[in-house]
Amino acid sequence: MNNKLLTSKYLRHLNKLRWFSLSFIFIMLIILPFIHLYQTYEAAHAYDLLTPTEKMISDTVERLTSSFVKEPEELSAIKGNTWSGSLFGLKLSDPLAVLGQVAASQSLYWPFIITALIPLIFTLLLGRIYCGWICPATLIYELNDNLAAWLRKAGLPVSRRKLDRRIKYVVLAVGILLSIFFGAVMFGSIYPPAIIGREIYYAIALGGFGAGAVFFLLTLLFDLMVTRRGFCRYVCPGGALYSLLGRYRLIRIKRNVETCNDCAKCNVACQFGLDPLNDNFGMECNNCTACIAVCPTDALKFTVNVHDITYQGPGHLGHKYRNEKN
Amino acid sequence: MNRRSFIKKFTMTMGVISFGLLPFVMGRLLRPKLKASESNRIPLPGALANKQDFEQACIGCGLCGEVCPPRCIQFYKHEGGLVADTPYIDPVQKSCILCGLCMEICPTNALTVTNVREVKMGIAQIDRAACYPWVDAGICGACVSICPIGSGAIDFEFGNFYRPIVKDKCVGCGQCVEVCPEPSLPINIVAPSKGTVAQHGVGIRKVERGQRGF
Repeated sequence: MNNKLLTSKYLRHLNKLRWFSLSFIFIMLIILPFIHLYQTYEAAHAYDLLTPTEKMISDTVERLTSSFVKEPEELSAIKGNTWSGSLFGLKLSDPLAVLGQVAASQSLYWPFIITALIPLIFTLLLGRIYCGWICPATLIYELNDNLAAWLRKAGLPVSRRKLDRRIKYVVLAVGILLSIFFGAVMFGSIYPPAIIGREIYYAIALGGFGAGAVFFLLTLLFDLMVTRRGFCRYVCPGGALYSLLGRYRLIRIKRNVETCNDCAKCNVACQFGLDPLNDNFGMECNNCTACIAVCPTDALKFTVNVHDITYQGPGHLGHKYRNEKN
Repeated sequence: MNRRSFIKKFTMTMGVISFGLLPFVMGRLLRPKLKASESNRIPLPGALANKQDFEQACIGCGLCGEVCPPRCIQFYKHEGGLVADTPYIDPVQKSCILCGLCMEICPTNALTVTNVREVKMGIAQIDRAACYPWVDAGICGACVSICPIGSGAIDFEFGNFYRPIVKDKCVGCGQCVEVCPEPSLPINIVAPSKGTVAQHGVGIRKVERGQRGF
């Protein structure tokens, strides 16, 4: 692997790329149901029978997509959501969906298990990359966290208490046991990205939100009133699974002691409440690069290392280091 | 380990486990089972024959609905428990056109690619007391002319051009249910064991009540 790429000074712009990726996936989740509506109108050859709103949807989608495809059927190349989807004939599924389905049916259906292979490899290499870069719920949770910051500035009490982060592994274990016991994939109804992908489709194409939307709003309130990014850090079973899979991830963020000045901006920027200043990333780091983006001295870089990095001492540009030296 | 530390540890463990159970309980409580009639909800084409197997295999991704050209696939959006977010078809609102796209897209084995003529979603059942041609109250034949399977599935009674009878090739797609113009709702998709002709009478009702368990 090119070492220059991992330590380039342009790494700080990765956070913008991440926001672009999150927004792109979220916007796609909104556009896809409209494309489906347009396809159903075209399949029925019923343009003249549509209501004015439906005509507007049909016209807009046609205008947006006519430069990419000739026939509306070709728009079926991209379907689904991040829970399970089809991308130009390549079927991709969430590893949590596969785990839940295997637990529920207690049998291995290989064509389905293989669809989780590519996400699995990425998770083994990069840790909770899904949580930081793809998950449509992350976009809303991060915006919710910004809202919490504003509320705090306005003087409203926003709680940031700490819970035990091992709770999410209990949620994962309980979910697997419930799936085995009841014979249904229980994760689907509490896993925020699955809920969002579905509920957007329900709201646009099937005329109304389902019950999952209420659950998702409750998680937003939990984040706002109890703890920062609480659902991702303490409850999410997917996060637990990816943390476990990413335990020995290959690529992780490393602090460069020579250029670190102990300003602790990284600790504030980290929404997962990790401790980059003391080299304490652990399993939960999702390589979101928010800490790299705020570092004033570009001291945080990527490194190829299978094991956790031990504490390297205070940053060499900081007061603490100078006091220790004298 | 003395008693106090045991009680402390036990309480902590139970607390952590109940916190882990909490999201699932919340998810379940937010989805109370609706008391809506499910009588006309039929499984998807190519679905696993056993309803329990289907619930075990389906992950609730909604892909089948997203590729359905007539948008006939609906989802259990508010029902809790095992059927949460699994798909169904209500042929009274919109029926399946047997295009097979949902079977192809399904990532799991919940829907498997099946030949159109071997699909088994149910069987059409005609209530001869409610069907207009059967009571000599009019001429129709809409169900026979819409059927995608043809005369092997639904045909006119021998010697009569308007009285429809369902045959054994019926796959239960429900297009006849959707097209039927008669307000008396004479045709329905039912489980294959219930037969193609609706039975009437006190005895039958008693049996049905017994099956439902009250």
